[in-house]
Amino acid sequence: MPHDYDENHVHNLLPAEPALRVKALETILLEKGLLDQQAVDAIIDEYEHRIGPHIGAKIVARAWNDLVFKSMLLEDAETVLREEGHAGRQGEHVVVVENTNTVHNLVVCTLCSCYPWPLLGVPPAWYKSDAYRSRAVSEPRAVLSEFGIDIPKSRSVRVWDSTAEIRYLVLPIQPKESIGLPAPELAKWVTRNSMIGTGLPQRPKDDQ
Amino acid sequence: MKPPHDMGGDPSEQLIPDKPDDPKFENAWHRRVLGITIAVGAMGAWSIDASRYARESLPRSDYTKFSYYEKWLGGLTNLLFRKGFINKNEIQSGSGELKAPLEWRQKVLSARNVGAALAAGAPTRRNGPEPIFTIGQEVCAKPPSDTLAIKRGHTRLPHYISGKAGTIIKSHGVHVLPNTNAHFLGEHPENLYAVEFKASVLWEQNPSSSDTVVVDCWESYLEPA
Repeated sequence: MPHDYDENHVHNLLPAEPALRVKALETILLEKGLLDQQAVDAIIDEYEHRIGPHIGAKIVARAWNDLVFKSMLLEDAETVLREEGHAGRQGEHVVVVENTNTVHNLVVCTLCSCYPWPLLGVPPAWYKSDAYRSRAVSEPRAVLSEFGIDIPKSRSVRVWDSTAEIRYLVLPIQPKESIGLPAPELAKWVTRNSMIGTGLPQRPKDDQ
Repeated sequence: MKPPHDMGGDPSEQLIPDKPDDPKFENAWHRRVLGITIAVGAMGAWSIDASRYARESLPRSDYTKFSYYEKWLGGLTNLLFRKGFINKNEIQSGSGELKAPLEWRQKVLSARNVGAALAAGAPTRRNGPEPIFTIGQEVCAKPPSDTLAIKRGHTRLPHYISGKAGTIIKSHGVHVLPNTNAHFLGEHPENLYAVEFKASVLWEQNPSSSDTVVVDCWESYLEPA
């Protein structure tokens, strides 16, 4: 037997090399009529080319520019995002949390890697790392400083552990220099990490 | 023993790799795992809870060794086997022996339905009773082992809040209970709350006095403090 095997863990009967493992399972499913290859391609295309942090950035920029929209978003993001067409798989129940002068929010999922996919796309490697999942709850300030963010003692850090189907999106503080810009310009300031809490909004590179 | 996936607060010397421009998929096969997992999931044979349980119940050595998408692939393979969709010979030979029953082939996600399936997602909000806990109330998290529907079963109650007191800060409404749903034992929807714990209650080492951790907890995870 090439691999360890027990009744409940048949995954080890597949080839050891992950790329071959996927290919083998895909072949089995196609031959059994349990998979449509074009559907797989279409799913990949959605996450590779359509769904990404630009969607969350658009929402944040609009909230910065429109106080009514912002208060609706903070009150009931689930309804607002459904109406805007940005709910969906792994973002069915979103709560938006606002950074202020007294609190900095940070999002993690210690039990797996839950993430607001319809707003930010596929999670980055660091978000899924054991180091982030372990440390974000117990030493958030050390984690933040590795991302180049030092939060003064006067502000508290509030970490949101995504243990249920609620997905959290951070509404970062708008940089003063960006006030008054139209929403499409503003959206370029909103980085992916600023919506997770491990970054801050930044002047766009092509603007410097 | 604490399962390996429940790693919040575990001592770790590792730095967090920040790659602002990291590619969406580091390897070509990561894409395929994502696409296949979502496509097969869309047949509706199991829930996200069952998928998570399949990943976290991989053997400890595999869980710690596997990358993210290898866990997905291992979990999917085992779920397909346990639910009778594929057999051992097929897995070993890498080839499908028999066509799946028509009932399931009719439920296969087609390319033209992908957009709608992703947009619909799988909401977990249900109708249910009024919450018994109120905003501002002090509650205590039970030990995770007291919340399991079966032996070594699934729970979303992390060990680091076990026995700790916190405050209800938000009521999320009624949601499907993963502890039963992961094992095909029904949805048993319950009220879900955001519970805020002081870092100084959770951690012995140098917690910052004003920092907090918020954990979403189903009603049956909690008791009055």
